[in-house]
Amino acid sequence: MKTEDKLLEKLIKTFAFISFIILFFVIFFIFRESYPFFKESSVVNFIFGRRWKPISYGEVSFGIFPIITATIYIAFISIIISAPISVGCSIFLSCIVGEELKEKIKPYINLLAGIPSVIYGFIGLVILVKGIEKFGLASGESVLAGGILLAIMISPFIISTCEESMSIIKKKYEKNSMALGISKWYMIENIIIPVSIPSIFVSIILALVRALGETMAVMMVIGNAPIFPRLLGKSQTISSLIAIEMGMAEVGSIHYSALFASGFILMILIFFINLAIDFFKNKFLKEVKNYEN
Amino acid sequence: MKIKENFIKLWIYSSGILVISIIFFIIFYIFIKGIEVINLKFLTDIPRGMILGQEGGIYPAIVGSILSTIIACIIGGLFGISTAIYVVFYQKSRIERKITNIIISCVGGVPSIVLGLFGYTIFLIYFRMGKSIIAGAFTIAIMIYPTIEIKTEKIFRDIDKNLINSSYSLGVSKIYTIFKIIIPSRIKEINSTMAIVFGYAIGATAPIMFCMAVINSPVNFNILRPSMSLSYHLYMLLTQGISEKMAYGTAFVLLFIIIVVVKLSQIIIKKRK
Repeated sequence: MKTEDKLLEKLIKTFAFISFIILFFVIFFIFRESYPFFKESSVVNFIFGRRWKPISYGEVSFGIFPIITATIYIAFISIIISAPISVGCSIFLSCIVGEELKEKIKPYINLLAGIPSVIYGFIGLVILVKGIEKFGLASGESVLAGGILLAIMISPFIISTCEESMSIIKKKYEKNSMALGISKWYMIENIIIPVSIPSIFVSIILALVRALGETMAVMMVIGNAPIFPRLLGKSQTISSLIAIEMGMAEVGSIHYSALFASGFILMILIFFINLAIDFFKNKFLKEVKNYEN
Repeated sequence: MKIKENFIKLWIYSSGILVISIIFFIIFYIFIKGIEVINLKFLTDIPRGMILGQEGGIYPAIVGSILSTIIACIIGGLFGISTAIYVVFYQKSRIERKITNIIISCVGGVPSIVLGLFGYTIFLIYFRMGKSIIAGAFTIAIMIYPTIEIKTEKIFRDIDKNLINSSYSLGVSKIYTIFKIIIPSRIKEINSTMAIVFGYAIGATAPIMFCMAVINSPVNFNILRPSMSLSYHLYMLLTQGISEKMAYGTAFVLLFIIIVVVKLSQIIIKKRK
């Protein structure tokens, strides 16, 4: 091997190695900064405490139960709205419109994924929130607005995953079912939907991860009040809590590490969902293979 | 039976049309409302007015955003692609692969605001860099790194194994194969990945909120100083109730840059072939 080749190889390995260290450091660091808080207050009180009152003349209390609930609540609302529409749209793209039109529409779906979240928040603020206010509510900033907005934001991720696998399934069974004289709708109902259920499932969990971590768009439309979430009431998610309060927390104070701790909780939540995806992917992929054989 | 079929038909058609109309609605809404605000002054002036931002332009924000995003893409791309090469072509043991996979997807799952928190504490508090473009760019680079790594890894894994094996069997070294055969044959996909990541990075608000963005700054090419940023400026215009009109203009510029970068990357690729 030439020396410059060796050098290049070394360079790549060094870059990879540095990246691993940085990534590891990110995780370690978030834990380290939240550690003082965990030392002082119990995890159970933190997760199940009902009052978030970081600055107070009386006793301060750090309970993020309403905030965790709101985070999960909003994510689930968005999934409930988005999943049927996105799955329908991916069937529409993979089976109804022709190959040519599909290739024309796809870049726009990607564009929907590429629109910055702050622009989504903007649109949510001027259209969704005002629209909800028309129904006679005092304030349109609500869990519902956040849910609808998130539903739009995560739909391209569900669509692109589902559409891909549905196209593969369609290609596989199309000729056989045509030869048997089955109608297209019968094929969709009895072959395409059942066979693609694993990939629909995986794509929905992936979208859930996105929905849980989303900051800006949600923050702009949910009103940010750390109270127990109701569908039409204001609430606050973990990421919006961090974004809003970080600026006023003193470095090293208990408030500061409580914010890191809530970020850490969110990270753990997402980590477990990722593990679950991994597990289901392996399990489902085996099932799909069995089905195909 | 017939009813069920009709129901499915209705569901599929209506959801397909709904999604497509939402896309066009959002794009046209921003473009039509935004184009009224755009003029030369808006693009080349600093923010002015009684409350800063009500009049004037967004030039410093455009410069700040593009500068930080380019730096972030270079750093993130360098590390991300190197890691992908390492993971695909050099990593042998299964356990090692599993661990890297978990770490990368874990950091990929970290919400951007938590990364912003990390960047703020590391770069501003421990390294005392002060709010600056470079600190913002580092934070964005950490944010986009997992995306780049995962996407390029997938690109490299999809390569025909025969191509690699025949190159090896001809006695070509590994590093030569990677740089002269594998990367050139996949440059198109890597390029479009980077274009998507560019859009992702320029629209990021949460990571730069604490590290780089300020409400007002002069036009600034010095990467060691803070700067405005388009996404943060848009956020401030809206949440502080400064000016909805200017917000439309800013959103227009942001969206326009993203679309132009994606289109440009396609044109560059076409020219090369």
